[in-house]
Amino acid sequence: MTRNVRKAPIYIALVLLALVSVVPFLWMLATSFKHGSDVYTRVPSLLPLDRKTGEWSPTLENYEHVLQVGGLGQAFLNSVWVCLILVPAKLLIDALAAYAFARIPFPGRDKLFVVLLAGMMVPTITLLVPRIHVTQQLGMFDSPWGLIVPNVASVLDIFLLRQFFLSLPGELEEAALIDGAGRMQIFWRIILPLSKPVLAVVTITSFIFHWNDLVWPLVVLNDPELYTLPLALQQLASSESGRAYYIMAGAALAVIPVIIVLLIFQRRIMQGLAFTGLRS
Amino acid sequence: MAPPVLAEKPTVTPRPGRRRRPGFGRRDHLIGWLLIAPAVVYFLVFLLFPALAALYYSFTDWNLRTAPNWVGLANYTDLLFDDAKYPHFWQSIKVTLQYTIIAVPLTLGTALIQALLLNAIHRGSNFFRLLLFLPVVTAEAAVGAIWRWLYDPQYGLINTFIELFGIPRQNWLNTPELVIPALSFIAAWQCGISMIIYLAGLKGIPTSIREAAVIDGAGPVQRFWRVVVPMLRPTTFYLLVTGVIAALQVFGLVYVIFSGGGNRSVTGGPEQSGLTYVLHLYLYAFRYDAMGAACAMSFILFLFIMIVTAMQFKFVKQEAS
Repeated sequence: MTRNVRKAPIYIALVLLALVSVVPFLWMLATSFKHGSDVYTRVPSLLPLDRKTGEWSPTLENYEHVLQVGGLGQAFLNSVWVCLILVPAKLLIDALAAYAFARIPFPGRDKLFVVLLAGMMVPTITLLVPRIHVTQQLGMFDSPWGLIVPNVASVLDIFLLRQFFLSLPGELEEAALIDGAGRMQIFWRIILPLSKPVLAVVTITSFIFHWNDLVWPLVVLNDPELYTLPLALQQLASSESGRAYYIMAGAALAVIPVIIVLLIFQRRIMQGLAFTGLRS
Repeated sequence: MAPPVLAEKPTVTPRPGRRRRPGFGRRDHLIGWLLIAPAVVYFLVFLLFPALAALYYSFTDWNLRTAPNWVGLANYTDLLFDDAKYPHFWQSIKVTLQYTIIAVPLTLGTALIQALLLNAIHRGSNFFRLLLFLPVVTAEAAVGAIWRWLYDPQYGLINTFIELFGIPRQNWLNTPELVIPALSFIAAWQCGISMIIYLAGLKGIPTSIREAAVIDGAGPVQRFWRVVVPMLRPTTFYLLVTGVIAALQVFGLVYVIFSGGGNRSVTGGPEQSGLTYVLHLYLYAFRYDAMGAACAMSFILFLFIMIVTAMQFKFVKQEAS
């Protein structure tokens, strides 16, 4: 009893902090479901209510508008496509490299790995301009491939995967090698199935990063047909700045898929992001 | 009869170092190289080459379309000393330092408070942790859009809220003195990663030490300053280094907050009060086509980040000794 009483202030403080954290999202959702005429009221409402009668009156008009007229439907699909290709391709390239760096001893391997790690020190902003130039030279500027290829490997992910592969017991592999299994068979049949946790962490955090990424699409794309969701949302926020209900519907479209992923994989995401920062 | 001599039996146990392990040979080397090849090609094309190219371009006058023109150190000296050519360079440094000095401690403080509270409860701690973590996974574009609306001078929630306490309404994103605090508050709102790392740090403090402090009669305040804070010092240091590095590069959020009007037009906010270093760099690279100068800016930033990191490490070493 006394124990609960002593904990009460802690819970009150947590509820207040959680409200600060969540209210912006509720405000976003409420605005996105309001009729345009109900948005700009003197006393803001966290529910979609009619401004005159005060009755419950939500609408999906804003979503319909931004999806069809505002181009966010196309952008949503673009983002889905980019993530569907980029995330698995990147995982494969990183996992193959990580496996070799962890398990196949060839001359110069460890020195090469140190060079790769040193490359992580360079801030991405320093690489931005020359990367654009390279992308142009490869004929991928302002194309879907320009979103994928320049992001298709990550030293950080190679590092994380390699650390995990190193922690796996070597006996299984050696036994398989003696039985005449090839390296690729070992990779697919032994290493990958044992590495599901770390593969999940890398996949999910990489999905969140690319789904949310604004800067690279901003510099590599011109054609509005190719815009990814964050870029289309930024454009909407800029051109429709007087219509908060459209912008909030767009923001909800960008936020909700990631929140669903977070709800499903919360433990892995928190671990993973604690390790990788936000990949910046 | 003499017993049979057993000791003569030769030992054939293989010496571990000499044993030829299966699968290790030329062919294996080749497979190793093949497996890392895609990643290494990527590394060369999109990391190593760009890094070296950026260094080279920083000594040139270049607009991405015509060949770069070598100008030596002119970009660097112009940026640092020529106020007419780059009128906002020092302003962008001032803005970025102000932001870093306010946002990083605010973020770490909020994260520590959240972690301490979460660590003090059992029931519901996962639920609260999830809610506090939500802002972290939110796209910059959405964060910017949502907070522009929250900070709206007429209809925003923030002004309605502070009015309840008798504080007059503010035009947050249009008042030069308020821009940095407003941006820092958003950073603190997104402190979830630091919170998780602090939480791990708190769990790592041995209960025996806390119990010993309790037995010695230390109150909660004393325990916090004498036990928790010192034990969390490595965590704080790590978060400080990564937090400062991230704050020095803040860009996407400011871009969304201060973009407006036409297609892709962005400003540095009222009186350039939100012109962060990377936003300034972006404007020169992609608005004014001054790629050489932008590369020089990016190397000044790179250098600055390395100096700050080295200083922070040195500071900790001194503290330790």
